[in-house]
Amino acid sequence: MPVYVVNSKPETVPEPTKALIARDITQIHCNVTGAPAKFVHVFFFENGPIPPLGEQSAMVYGQIRSGRTDAQKAQICSDMQASVCKHAALDPSEVQVFTTDTPASWVMEGGDVLPEPGEEDAWLAAHEAKVASAPSA
Amino acid sequence: MIQCLCVVQEGQISANQEAILRTETSDFAQRNFGAAAEIQWLQVPEGSGFTEGVPSTSVIVNMTADRSLAPSEREPLLRELGQIWERHAERGPDEVVTAIRDPSV
Repeated sequence: MPVYVVNSKPETVPEPTKALIARDITQIHCNVTGAPAKFVHVFFFENGPIPPLGEQSAMVYGQIRSGRTDAQKAQICSDMQASVCKHAALDPSEVQVFTTDTPASWVMEGGDVLPEPGEEDAWLAAHEAKVASAPSA
Repeated sequence: MIQCLCVVQEGQISANQEAILRTETSDFAQRNFGAAAEIQWLQVPEGSGFTEGVPSTSVIVNMTADRSLAPSEREPLLRELGQIWERHAERGPDEVVTAIRDPSV
């Protein structure tokens, strides 16, 4: 978490651009929120069920941890829309980005409940220590 | 029915593994939330999944509980669900993301 889903009409987002958009989405989320890149997942679908496309050529839906400010979320949406438009050569009117909040305590990753925003460094340190001390398979 | 969205990477889960995961996930829902799971299985096309900006091997399991859960109840359930997926999808803990949501949120 976060999980970003990019749903688009077929061939709207060319294959070679997916890695570029995924890199941008990861960097944007981390730059705006301070979250570690390790947490960021980006998945692309064509005519997928989530999020519904409606009249848009591409939709980006981010399920993010609760606690981000409205300004942070607006920045995320604006920057990600610009990235998709740039790499897929789409007009901003064809691309919509939105996020929903999920409490960190509802999600487990790496066998640990996710940290609240701002507590990532301590979480990562504890998690990495746990992994290092775990018996190897 | 208990809603459950499972997102997997194409080519990383065999048909046999998928069948076992569907059964085990539904049994988990029945055992803990009183009803079988209605599973939406989404396969991310090859080359279309990224974690930390590089090709992803992660699975995401997102289930909605039948009631609001206290943290002390949710954490062991998240762990149990994650271990089902680690075992049958043959993923490491860092490759499994589980979420159990309260209903109607």
